[in-house]
Amino acid sequence: MARLSPLEASERRLGYLMLAPAVILLLVTALYPIAALIRESFSHNVLTEPWMAKPWVGLDNFAKAMGDPRFWEASANTLLYVIVTVPGAVAMGLGLALLANQPFRIKWPVRLGLLLPWALPLVFAGLIFRWFFEFQQGLVNNALLFVGLSPVNWLTRETPAFIAICIAIIWKTSSFAALVLLAGLQTIPKSLYEAAEVDGASKWRQFLEITLPMLMPAIFVALIFRTITAIQTFDIPKAMTDGGPGKSNETLAMYIHSTTIDALDFGYGSTLAVLMFVLSAVLTSFYLRHTRRDPSGGRH
Amino acid sequence: MAQLDIIGVTKAFGPVKVLHGIDIAVADGEFLVLVGPSGCGKSTLLRMIAGLESVTGGELKIGGAVVNDLPPRGRDIAMVFQDYALYPHKSVRDNIGFGLRMRNIATDDIARRVDDAAKILQITHLLDRKPGQLSGGQRQRVAMGRAIVRDPKVFLFDEPLSNLDAQLRAEMRVEIKKLHQRFRNTVVYVTHDQVEAMTLADRIAVMKGGHVEQLGTPDEIYNHPRTTFVAGFTGSPPMNFAPCTIGEDGGSIILDGGATLAVPKARQAQLQAARGKRMTFGIRPEHITISAEDGNSLQAEVILTEPLGSDTLGLLKIGQTEMTGRFAPDAGLKPGATRAVTLAMSKFHLFDPETGVSLQ
Ligand SMILES: Nc1ncnc2c1ncn2[C@@H]1O[C@H](COP(=O)(O)OP(=O)(O)OP(=O)(O)O)[C@@H](O)[C@H]1O
Ligand SMILES: [Mg+2]
Repeated sequence: MARLSPLEASERRLGYLMLAPAVILLLVTALYPIAALIRESFSHNVLTEPWMAKPWVGLDNFAKAMGDPRFWEASANTLLYVIVTVPGAVAMGLGLALLANQPFRIKWPVRLGLLLPWALPLVFAGLIFRWFFEFQQGLVNNALLFVGLSPVNWLTRETPAFIAICIAIIWKTSSFAALVLLAGLQTIPKSLYEAAEVDGASKWRQFLEITLPMLMPAIFVALIFRTITAIQTFDIPKAMTDGGPGKSNETLAMYIHSTTIDALDFGYGSTLAVLMFVLSAVLTSFYLRHTRRDPSGGRH
Repeated sequence: MAQLDIIGVTKAFGPVKVLHGIDIAVADGEFLVLVGPSGCGKSTLLRMIAGLESVTGGELKIGGAVVNDLPPRGRDIAMVFQDYALYPHKSVRDNIGFGLRMRNIATDDIARRVDDAAKILQITHLLDRKPGQLSGGQRQRVAMGRAIVRDPKVFLFDEPLSNLDAQLRAEMRVEIKKLHQRFRNTVVYVTHDQVEAMTLADRIAVMKGGHVEQLGTPDEIYNHPRTTFVAGFTGSPPMNFAPCTIGEDGGSIILDGGATLAVPKARQAQLQAARGKRMTFGIRPEHITISAEDGNSLQAEVILTEPLGSDTLGLLKIGQTEMTGRFAPDAGLKPGATRAVTLAMSKFHLFDPETGVSLQ
């Protein structure tokens, strides 16, 4: 690391000082529960078996997970949701951000439209979409009938249910991505577009050559946030099909929930949560490695 | 390269009229400078030529063709922005070559032309850097490179040197002049630095409040300003003004406060129409000289001096009015002293005090 100038050093000291309260709060509210969770994951703790006490069982729970087909299926489903809804929500969010960045005369309907899905509770969004995809009275099937197509049994078949859930998740989460990207868009100086215009770039080339590369840092932020929440996908599939049909659309978070809350197996549930945490860490560290580069070549 | 015609061009932002009918014909290869105080509409006019602002009224022609409704990319112009507007995520090489790439020029052709432009601007060693790694002057050169590499019909500059320090500005001014002498492109150049205007221009358009106050060569603008505004805008320090009355005989000018100036024969004809009238007398600082006391000299009290090295500016009180003169550094001016000075009466100007228009 390069040596710091006195100004930079004092700025850094101030930075640490201002960071301190947040760090302390984080230690208390996040680090302690995480430590407790990890300890739990090495013990046998089932509330319906109080006579067993809480013995330390080493890696038993982890070994159990490795041989648990339901764990693997839930992990695969979770990954599938990540693969579909993360790019989906960010792409959709980019479209919304570009739209919202247009010079509208009246701005509030656009802003409201952007904020509304974000402000809505997840379960609520799930219920709304469950109703949209209903077989009998659902909006989607009515629309299909209207254009002369046959209705689809959305929520009771595996693939249609997955598609319906993904659509709901993307709708719900793209507005947050849009807000992040809109903030990024507004930092791009207008004169760059004017220069590109004079240089002969079409609107599409301007998007490719200026907007997209300059938006990369914001896109990465949106991707990281969306990835972390996608790994924790729970409410919307829970509300729409409860992971169904069967367990075909169950996510890792749903499996953890049913293990701890329904089966009261806190030891194994904690182990699953630790594994989910590892998955998060692996996926996000991949992003962080890519955000280290500064596109403008340093010097701020 | 091409001729640029600005014909009766007006501009309004909503209800606010910003330009009130501009007429300038810029010849092929001509260097036109737009000068004027802040807010007079220079940038607006330039951006209209570029196609970045719509034209409210009138016509813009480039190479004889009306371009009012063409987007910037259809006009074949290049522009150097005040903040340079370099693409921060692209290397210098890609910044300069961007316009060529957008016009689908062959890759090796682009490389050759970028190298040529870089050589001319002496930035070859910077080609692989990003704009964030350049100094202000280097960025300025890159912005110039991006313009010259295209060989456009018209070059537009919006105060390209205003972000540079004085020394660098003088250097780049020479550089721009050299480039123009070499390529003979049609140029429209906005500045509010009158030195830049005087040194670079083939013709200067002095703008004020959305119209052109005077259009002419630097010599015409400097030596024959049509109004007090133009006279006061050029020269550094600018022209001195003093209220006066024309003598009834038409051969003298009486400055307020009593000093009487004899007008040489050659210029008396000009005064006849104004005999006995109130006028504004104007004289440039270099036309005031320290002299021996004689019938034509005036008494001047030295208020303060500003030594510039090459010459010394002296603020003088002549009669009731203060005037600045430009003197040799060895003229021995001392604040508080009273000296005899002579005004070069072949060089004075007279303006109507009401309208500010020069008496021709
Ligand atoms: N987009 C706009 N909307 C409304 N008014 C504008 C707009 N752009 C410029 N103006 C007005 O037009 C007038 C001319 O502006 P312009 O930028 O052309 O001035 P300028 O001569 O370039 O001044 P400066 O030397 O400060 O750059 C100003 O009064 C300005 O407030
Ligand atoms: Mg301007």
